[in-house]
Amino acid sequence: MGQKTPQIYSVELNGAKDMKQTDKGDDKDKYRGLWSTCLELRKNHHKEHVTKEIDLDDHKLSNKELENKYHTNIVTGLSSTQAAELLARDGPNALSPPQETPEIIKFLKQMVGGFSILLWVGAILCWIAYGIQFSNDKSSSLDNVYLGTVLALVVILTGIFAYYQEAKSTNIMASFSKMIPQQALVIRDSEKKIIPAEQLVVGDIVEIKGGDQIPADIRLLFAQGCKVDNSSLTGESEPQPRSCEFTHDNPLETKNIGFYSTTCLEVSISPVGTATGMVINTGDRTIIGHIASLASGVGNEKTPIATEIEHFVHIVAGVAISIGVLFFIIAVSMKYRVLDSIIFLIGIIVANVPEGLLATVTVTLSLTAKRMAKKNCLVKNLEAVETLGSTSIICSDKTGTLTQNRMTVAHLWFDNQIFMADTSEDHFKQTFDQSSGTWASLSKIITLCNRAEFRPGQERVPIMKRVVVGDASETALLKFSEVVLGDVMEIRKRNHKVAEIPFNSTNKFQLSIHKTDDPTDKRFLMVMKGAPEKILEKCSTIMVNGQEQPLDQSTAEAFYTAYMELGGLGERVLGFCHLYLSADEFPETYSFDVDAMNFPMSNLCFVGLLSMIDPPRSTVPDAITKCRSAGIKVIMVTGDHPITAKAIAKSVGIISANSETVEDIAKRLNIAVEQVNKQDAKAVVVTGMELKDMSEDQLDEVLTSYPEIVFARTSPQQKLIIVEGCQRQDAVVAVTGDGVNDSPALKKADIGIAMGIAGSDAAKNAADMVLLDDNFASIVTGVEEGRLIFDNLKKTIAYTLTKNIAELCPFLIYIIVGVPLPLGTITILFIDLGTDIVPSIALAYEKAESDIMNRKPRHKKKDRLVNKPLAVYSYLHIGLMQSLGAFLVYFTVYAQEGFRPSTLINLRVEWEKDFVNNLEDSYGQEWTRYQRKYLEWTGYTAFFIGIMIQQIADLIIRKTRKNSIFQQGLFRNKVIWVGIASQIIIALILSYGLGSITALNFTMLRPQYWFVAVPHAFLIWVYDEVRKLFIRLYPGSWWDKNMYY
Amino acid sequence: MWVMLQTLNDEVPKYRDQISSPGLTVFPKPVTALEYSFSVSKRESYEGYIEDLKKFLKPYTAEAQKNLRNCQDGALFEQKGPVYEACQFPLALLEACSGESDPEFGYSKGHPCILVKMNRIIGLKPQGKPAIECTGNSKGENTTTLPVYPSEGNIDLKYFPYYGKKLHASYLQPLVAVQFNYTASSTPKEVTVECKIVGSKNLKNYDDRDKFLGRVAFKITMRA
Repeated sequence: MGQKTPQIYSVELNGAKDMKQTDKGDDKDKYRGLWSTCLELRKNHHKEHVTKEIDLDDHKLSNKELENKYHTNIVTGLSSTQAAELLARDGPNALSPPQETPEIIKFLKQMVGGFSILLWVGAILCWIAYGIQFSNDKSSSLDNVYLGTVLALVVILTGIFAYYQEAKSTNIMASFSKMIPQQALVIRDSEKKIIPAEQLVVGDIVEIKGGDQIPADIRLLFAQGCKVDNSSLTGESEPQPRSCEFTHDNPLETKNIGFYSTTCLEVSISPVGTATGMVINTGDRTIIGHIASLASGVGNEKTPIATEIEHFVHIVAGVAISIGVLFFIIAVSMKYRVLDSIIFLIGIIVANVPEGLLATVTVTLSLTAKRMAKKNCLVKNLEAVETLGSTSIICSDKTGTLTQNRMTVAHLWFDNQIFMADTSEDHFKQTFDQSSGTWASLSKIITLCNRAEFRPGQERVPIMKRVVVGDASETALLKFSEVVLGDVMEIRKRNHKVAEIPFNSTNKFQLSIHKTDDPTDKRFLMVMKGAPEKILEKCSTIMVNGQEQPLDQSTAEAFYTAYMELGGLGERVLGFCHLYLSADEFPETYSFDVDAMNFPMSNLCFVGLLSMIDPPRSTVPDAITKCRSAGIKVIMVTGDHPITAKAIAKSVGIISANSETVEDIAKRLNIAVEQVNKQDAKAVVVTGMELKDMSEDQLDEVLTSYPEIVFARTSPQQKLIIVEGCQRQDAVVAVTGDGVNDSPALKKADIGIAMGIAGSDAAKNAADMVLLDDNFASIVTGVEEGRLIFDNLKKTIAYTLTKNIAELCPFLIYIIVGVPLPLGTITILFIDLGTDIVPSIALAYEKAESDIMNRKPRHKKKDRLVNKPLAVYSYLHIGLMQSLGAFLVYFTVYAQEGFRPSTLINLRVEWEKDFVNNLEDSYGQEWTRYQRKYLEWTGYTAFFIGIMIQQIADLIIRKTRKNSIFQQGLFRNKVIWVGIASQIIIALILSYGLGSITALNFTMLRPQYWFVAVPHAFLIWVYDEVRKLFIRLYPGSWWDKNMYY
Repeated sequence: MWVMLQTLNDEVPKYRDQISSPGLTVFPKPVTALEYSFSVSKRESYEGYIEDLKKFLKPYTAEAQKNLRNCQDGALFEQKGPVYEACQFPLALLEACSGESDPEFGYSKGHPCILVKMNRIIGLKPQGKPAIECTGNSKGENTTTLPVYPSEGNIDLKYFPYYGKKLHASYLQPLVAVQFNYTASSTPKEVTVECKIVGSKNLKNYDDRDKFLGRVAFKITMRA
């Protein structure tokens, strides 16, 4: 796997040499994968300064040697002073949080990102212009200083806003990931103390009981019947036994080491109920600490929406700069003064840059993030909202994500018949035939031959949600029998247990002997369950319809058929048998000895089979179907057995009902696997072993040629390979994960999705999104939201870009034709940051036009957020229409005040001369400079109102891209109307409320001027309806290709 | 756009709210700013001003005015049309500044004339007895009232109201001349002059922002 890891890591990894040495003789893939990743990182690393090597020899040392090494005492522990010194030396026992970008850097990034640079340039040009003016004429007006300051303020305020939004969404995450402080029971100064786990130091002696999280890497000193769950570290879902013996050279394999943050599942109650260990590594020096830091080294890919926005910024900035420079040159060659030309340049930049847009995008994304959080998708990084929408491949875990993460009884076999049990999450109504006498016996065995118990005090909790002490299978059986039979504890009480042999892996059975609850029956009942073939061996009879029958060839065959069938479903099958011990041989006082086995172990009566599976969540098959129609490939990546994996994949639809793997075809046609035409197979199950031997190209081929893929028996490290493979296909890959070992894959994925319940903190840190309910279906709702937001962002951007032309034209006309300036720079800012803000956010609330889950995910490189049709249609169609409308209002105002359009042409120079105070209008009246200025502001206001009125029409047409507005419904999205109201109210306030403030350049406008642009607004609407109509009528035509954005 | 243009009245603009009160302007027409600077002894330094004044006063010659009406003094001259007449403004009213007795408008003698006029506004009817009053302020001297022609700077009501370029094509604006009587000395004389409209309630002569509404300030620098 090493060579497939590109140089994306920059993490310093210490102690890799040690790992390499201890790696020898390691035969388990998962560890090799892990360490070779580490080694590869090491090789790729340039600066090698090893600060402190991990000491991984501790598992080989004796207790005495350990005591010496850590200057501690196993009985008395460290002294408080020693501990304090060590704590000061090593720091607290906690994983240092991932390297955060300093807040100030984040803030500065907001200040210079996007359009900010352009605006800064504008502001600085303003100040320079004033500087030049001032040096020529001490009394020059402060207009440019104001403008520069306003521009700077705009940048700073939008920067602060974006920063605040970003910080807010990060905070949600921070509060979420904050854990309850962990406690540890430690022996110090010969006393047992409970201290926060953070204060542990190496050499501390800690005691651990079942259910505790291991507070640091510890070397076990005393442990009996101790089992740990290492799944977050290695991906092994089976509990691992732990003892104090040194069993393996590899520290990860040896049984006497417990790892930080793994869970101790159980410790034998006798003799002390706790395990004792010595802390050998704390904090970042623990194994988990190293892996966690690995993840932070994986480069975070730029999110698709970030790329899109960058692309968009480039387009707009390109337009702004090229028009700006072009007109600068035109202006200079038209003999304008350079200073004036600079001011034109500023105006053009300001007109072109949609100042409010990036803030709007941020708000829109965070609105969606909030909506997703309600649907159990917590988004850490705002931009990930959209990433989810463009996802084309989801690599999903099986356990917990696709399945319910609990064993459940799925099938029963008795009376030569297979019965199905209900496996859904809540409805636990069993509908199979319970009248047979065989069921009565079977149910008794299930109930009695079971050590699992409910934790007390849960009478009110639904059965399926109760906490059980016991392993997964026994829990499943306990809950099953509780549901079917009622109070299991009561039944067990009535059938007093006299002897018991617990399950162990050599016997592969479990047995118990009970007094029966029938007072007339003095016989003991022996019940047994275990691996079906082992159980069958011990039986000579079989119960059919409540009657014992001799076990003959045909019944044995029936048994095997059923066993294979259930096994083929990926289910864990158990066999059940019983025997009534004759009262003569085993009187009531008989003393059973489980070691001597003084009871019969053969000629038992076989009763039935029962199979269990971790069933799929009931919402998952639907979600998978949705994914499929949405063009998203779902790949299952699991550590489970291929058969189980395939069975679950089939039951949730990852492998659809009618598709076959190569093996299936071979079996059906009865030919060798090699003879099957691979093209016929739609599905494939790849195991970790096969994956290990695959080259990059082979993996690519698998990924491209099969639509339905299951990876089974994979290690968490192989997930990274799979993710990279998918990314080579230009796919946007979402990956789910929960273990610490998943974190590099989560980081590498375009969107890493961590499980909120089962996920480790490292996984949550590495992920972009956290699924609060661990449910795959939630991802699909997230995808839907993500797609919707992409569509709606298009609308927002189209809406915002449109008026840029209406803002730009005044400058161009002003320069070329020489009319008095129709629209002031500050007025432009009032449109961009005033009237347009709420409406553009309102578009985020727009419902989808058609079923967005029925189309393919967008292609990262082809389906851009801002494409040519969008730019052309917004700029050149609607934008120009809007400019015309606004100019109409402007000319109307001037004409009705005395300046006809013909007079205005080339009036600019005289108009702007400060000492010309008798400028004649079309009617012979004479105007002072200030009177003209006031008229100019009235013109600004008029132009502004003209744009605003037409932006209302623009807003309405942007509700849909293809459908008629009437199909979409004018009133479905109420927020749009809030937006329209806000536009009008802000304009009213600006014109009538603030009309008297000189610096703002607004005047009171006659009410009738508000309606001058209304016909144009209607025209825009009609024009767009026609466009949409043609798109609907002629899909795929030239029109569709060029007018649909 | 075309519809909008059709709605326009050819004779009178629809609204005149933004020019309710006239501004004051001065002649000769300033070139860069409101500053006149010349040397009495150098004709070429003021020749431009004289030319400008002459050009400006051309419509006021007796020849040009001969078709105009001799209106009654002291009352508004309201007309109903369809033909609108204009009132005579005899140049003689400007006395020493008329250019008739002194074709150099006093510049060569160190008593330069500056003409002040009110901006034309259609339909404006001044109330009371409007007049232009000018004060001069030279460094280190008291502010003095400057002599104006016609006497007291009176602007006769008969020149109002104005009916617009189209209807009132021959209209002549009333003028007021202000003359400087400072004697030329060897040191350059700098005088700041402020003229404003007085005597009429509806003609404003002070506005915070508009420095030319009913008033005008300019500077004359005169060297020997």
